[in-house]
Amino acid sequence: MNNKLKIVLAEDNTTLSLLLKFRLEKEGYELIMAEDGKEAIEYIEQQMPDIIITDIMMPFVSGLEVISHVRNKLNLNTPIIVFSSAGQEEMVLKAFNLGANDFMGKPFSPNELVIRIKRLIG
Amino acid sequence: MDRVQQFINYYNGEPLIIQLVWIVACMLFFTTLIFIIYLKILRVKLRRNEKLITKFSKEYELLLVTYLYTESGEDGEISSEQKEVIDKLKESITNKFKREIVVLSFLKLTNEITGEMAESIYNLYANTKLKKYALAKLKSRKWDVIAGGIRELTLFHVKEAHDKVIKHVNHSKREVRKEVQLYLVNLFNFKGLNFLDDLKTPLSEWDQIQLLEELQKSEDQQIPDITAWLKSPNDYVVVFALKLAKIYNQFGMKEVLIDLLNHTSEKVRLELLPVLSYLHVLESKEVLKKDFNSRTKDEQIAIFKLLENLGETEDEPFILRHIHNSNFEIKFSALKILKDINIEKFRSFNLVPPESEFVKMVLFIENN
Repeated sequence: MNNKLKIVLAEDNTTLSLLLKFRLEKEGYELIMAEDGKEAIEYIEQQMPDIIITDIMMPFVSGLEVISHVRNKLNLNTPIIVFSSAGQEEMVLKAFNLGANDFMGKPFSPNELVIRIKRLIG
Repeated sequence: MDRVQQFINYYNGEPLIIQLVWIVACMLFFTTLIFIIYLKILRVKLRRNEKLITKFSKEYELLLVTYLYTESGEDGEISSEQKEVIDKLKESITNKFKREIVVLSFLKLTNEITGEMAESIYNLYANTKLKKYALAKLKSRKWDVIAGGIRELTLFHVKEAHDKVIKHVNHSKREVRKEVQLYLVNLFNFKGLNFLDDLKTPLSEWDQIQLLEELQKSEDQQIPDITAWLKSPNDYVVVFALKLAKIYNQFGMKEVLIDLLNHTSEKVRLELLPVLSYLHVLESKEVLKKDFNSRTKDEQIAIFKLLENLGETEDEPFILRHIHNSNFEIKFSALKILKDINIEKFRSFNLVPPESEFVKMVLFIENN
C-alpha cells in the first residue's frame, strides 16, 4: 500500500520540474509531472492528488484554467500553489479569486516550496 | 531516344519566342526542384538537430540535478559524484553545439530558482570552465557574439571578468553597451555605476530605466557620490544622475543642482526643474525668476510647474506679472499658484472680468 502524499506538478520548464521532483521525492512525496495544463488536468482527474502545484503561463491550457477546472468542474478542495513570474501580479490575483491557496514568485527557493507544501498538507 | 530527337526537332522548328518560353520554363522547373531538395535537406537537418537537442538537454538536465542534489564533502569540497558530473560536462563542452545546450540547461534553472542552489549552479559553471568560452566571445569581431558573451557572464555572476567587460563600455553598438551596463549594475550594484565616469556614448531612456530597475533590486541602497556625474561632459550621464538624485533623495546636492540651471543643454535644464521641485530646492527660485525671460518657452512652463509646488507669498509679484501671459499653460499655472498663496487676491479676478476666457479659467481653478 503506497501511503505517500501525491503532488501533481504542472510546469513547462523541464529542468525545474526535474529539480523539484528530486527535492520533493526526497521529502517523501510522490510526484506526477505534467508539461502543460492539459496534461495536468488529466493527471488530476486520474490520480486525485493531495496538492497541486502549477505554473501560471503554460502551453495549451494555462494555470488559471487548471485552477478553474479543479474548483468549478471537479469541485475539489485540493490545495493549489501557483508559480508566477515578475509582471504577472494581475494573474496571481485572478488565481486567488479562482481558488488558489498560495503563490510563489519566480525565482524561488525550492526549500521554501517544501515548507509551504508542508504547511498546506503536512 | 526517338522522343528526345523528336523534341529537339520540334524545338528547332518553333519560333524564337516559343524557344525562349521553353528555356524559361525549364529554368524555373530546375530552380524549383533545387529549392525543394534544399528545403527537404534543411527540414531533415533541423528535425535531427531538434532530436539531438532534446536528447542532450535531458542528459545535461539530469547531470545538473544530480550535481545539485549530491552532498558536497566536508568544508563544501566537491564530492566524487560531483567531480564525475563536472568531468562529463567538461568533455561535452568542447563541442560548440553541446556547449550551447549545456549553457541553455543551466540558464533554464538559474532564472527560476534562488538561494543555495542558484549559487551551486554558478559554481558548476565556473568549475566546468564554461567561463573560458564566454570570455573568448569578448574578443570576437562580431558585436552580437560579444553581447552574448557578456550576457552569459552576467547570468552566471562571473565577477572576475570585470576588467575585460568594461573595455566595451563605449562600444559602437548600443546592444553591447547595454549588456556591459547591465553586467556592471547586476554584479556590482551601485559600485558598478563607475562606468559613468568614462561613458562617452549615449545612454538611452530605456537603458536608464533598466539600470534603475536593477539598482532597486540591490540590497545595499547606499548610493555613491553623484557630483562627478552631475558635472559630466556627457549630457546623458547628467540626465541619468538627475534621475538618481530624485529617486534616492539626494538633498545634499542642492548647490550642484543649482549650478546646472545654467547648463548648455536645454534637455538637461528641463530634466533638472522637476528634480529641484521634488527636492524642494527653494534657493533655485531666485535664479529662475531673475532670468525667466531669457529662458525657452518649455523651460518657462516647467518653472511655473516648479512654482506650483514651491510657490510662497514672496513670489506673488512675479506670479502677478504672468497672470496674463500669452501662453495658456503659464497663465493657468500662475492662477493656480495665486490661489494657493493668496486666495483673496485670486478671488478678486473673479469680480473684474477683463476678458471672458480669463474669468472662465479663474472659475474653473476656484472650483477644482
